[in-house]
Amino acid sequence: MKREVKWMLRLAAALAVFSFLVAGPAYSQDAATGQATVAAAGNPAPVGNDLGLQGKLGKAIAKAPAGQGKGEIDVNAPRGAFGIPGAPKINYVLAVLWAIWVGWIFSTVGAFGGIMAGVGHMTIYGLGDYAKGFKDTVPELNKTLTDSIRTSNQFLVGLSALISTINYLKSKRLAWPLGIALGLGSIAGAIFIPMLTGGKISFRQYQGWFGVFVFVVGFVLLYELTPRGQKGKKAAKAAAQAFEKSVKEKRDIGNQGVALKEFGFTRSTFTFFGTDFRFNPIWAFFGGAVIAAISSFLGVGGGFLYVPYLTSIVGAPMYVVAGTSAMAVLVSMITSIAGYITVAKAGMDWTLIGIELVGVFVGSMIGPRTQKYIPDKWLKILFIVLALYVGLKYFSQGFFGHSWVP
Amino acid sequence: MIPLNAGQKMVAFIDSFLICLYRITGDPILDYFLGTFLLSFLTVVVGEFTISIGFRANKPYLDQLNNDMQKMSSLSREAQRLGDEEGYKACNKEGNDAFGRLFFHRFGLAAASLWPVFLALAWMQSRFHGIDFPLAWPLSVVFRNGAGYVFTFIPLYILCRILFKYMRPWLPYFRGVQKLLDAGK
Repeated sequence: MKREVKWMLRLAAALAVFSFLVAGPAYSQDAATGQATVAAAGNPAPVGNDLGLQGKLGKAIAKAPAGQGKGEIDVNAPRGAFGIPGAPKINYVLAVLWAIWVGWIFSTVGAFGGIMAGVGHMTIYGLGDYAKGFKDTVPELNKTLTDSIRTSNQFLVGLSALISTINYLKSKRLAWPLGIALGLGSIAGAIFIPMLTGGKISFRQYQGWFGVFVFVVGFVLLYELTPRGQKGKKAAKAAAQAFEKSVKEKRDIGNQGVALKEFGFTRSTFTFFGTDFRFNPIWAFFGGAVIAAISSFLGVGGGFLYVPYLTSIVGAPMYVVAGTSAMAVLVSMITSIAGYITVAKAGMDWTLIGIELVGVFVGSMIGPRTQKYIPDKWLKILFIVLALYVGLKYFSQGFFGHSWVP
Repeated sequence: MIPLNAGQKMVAFIDSFLICLYRITGDPILDYFLGTFLLSFLTVVVGEFTISIGFRANKPYLDQLNNDMQKMSSLSREAQRLGDEEGYKACNKEGNDAFGRLFFHRFGLAAASLWPVFLALAWMQSRFHGIDFPLAWPLSVVFRNGAGYVFTFIPLYILCRILFKYMRPWLPYFRGVQKLLDAGK
């Protein structure tokens, strides 16, 4: 009976996710705007005023053609997302349910949550389809909405980094010399991308690259399930257990923290617990810049990229990687969000983010309670399928104009 | 008149209460900062209450994740000290898994404390969007358009967070939460 309950839970979770992906956009859109009606023939007159909307959004609205067709603004329609008349009315019940799913992933898998949050903003809430509608009529509005979607993604990721950084600072688990080098690089990357791409990336381009990233994540997860990946993971687990058994001497870690021993532009050394760790600040700077640029562009991916970079390439121990990467993510997200809001003038729907946070909290509370019923391997399979489906869908929609999957 | 969507109706509903915080002294500048301070404090209290619910509910799980990560971290340090590269990498790898879960679970708790902030910002957007305060040099070089509602709310929110931290041991209900936090250290 217990086994049947487990399989029912697994099947229910998979069906719920896929039904959201397929049906979500339909539920989130108003009936009038959900239909792809052809724009009126001829050149409809522009709206002519910003309808009370500030910044780049208001300016783009003023230039948009007035009407009820696709790519037009119906000034008499009820206000939807971002306060735009006729924009999708985000179904807040749907938003909370999807956010619960995101929170559940956050607390059970420990990865992929940012991607699911991005999928919510782009597909489930219907914002992506709405932005795409203005590709030909008002490209400026298409790009401004894309910036708002990117910034919304970054808020959720940045907030997690904020809380983690504070906690790690308190417990002195930040390798601040490495963190500074990484952080400076991440600032450079996070300033560069909003300046370079703010207001210039169409939603289709963004969607296509998001799809590519999701593919990469999917293949990494898939590799971990292959015999070679499993062998590596089993070997690591066995080695860790063997090492644990062999440790006889217990040490008091007490108040030992991180201390800078020597600093140079190409070689720096910090110590903690009597052990020296060397790193190249220039590599850390460039690594931080590249990773921050990717995560600023996509709105996701900081944690996924920083942690393996710090452990595998820089060779830092786990003890400091956690806090150092959290700090780098925080710095890059703050910089990037500030850049999008002040430089690119991206509009924000604060109510949506607030409601999403409620859902994420609820999902994070549910996660630990369901984890014992769903093995890690099955979760990974579910996410691989999701990643390949979402990656393929976004990649094809973004770069080829139509989805290769339903 | 353009009908409001669900989010805007919700914001309008609490508007009548929140605007009272901005009408205390009669001086517009003073009222703005006092009102924003009181609004920030309110978001801190509501957020702390929400996080306390989550913390109480999931403390055993958080403790387990912390222990797993601490164990792997200690082992990787020991491996490094003994020059065991294979053991060092293995412990790091295992620690990565625990770290991922802990990192993102903490986000769930963070979400609990921060959700009122964004609803407060949504309300402030409806009332104070476009009202900017000019800044003195050198901040005026960076913020050429001045500071709007977001950049006045955030410093006051941080201040309220710090104040609340010192007030917590004396507040009903929250002093119980503080005892729980202290017991876990």
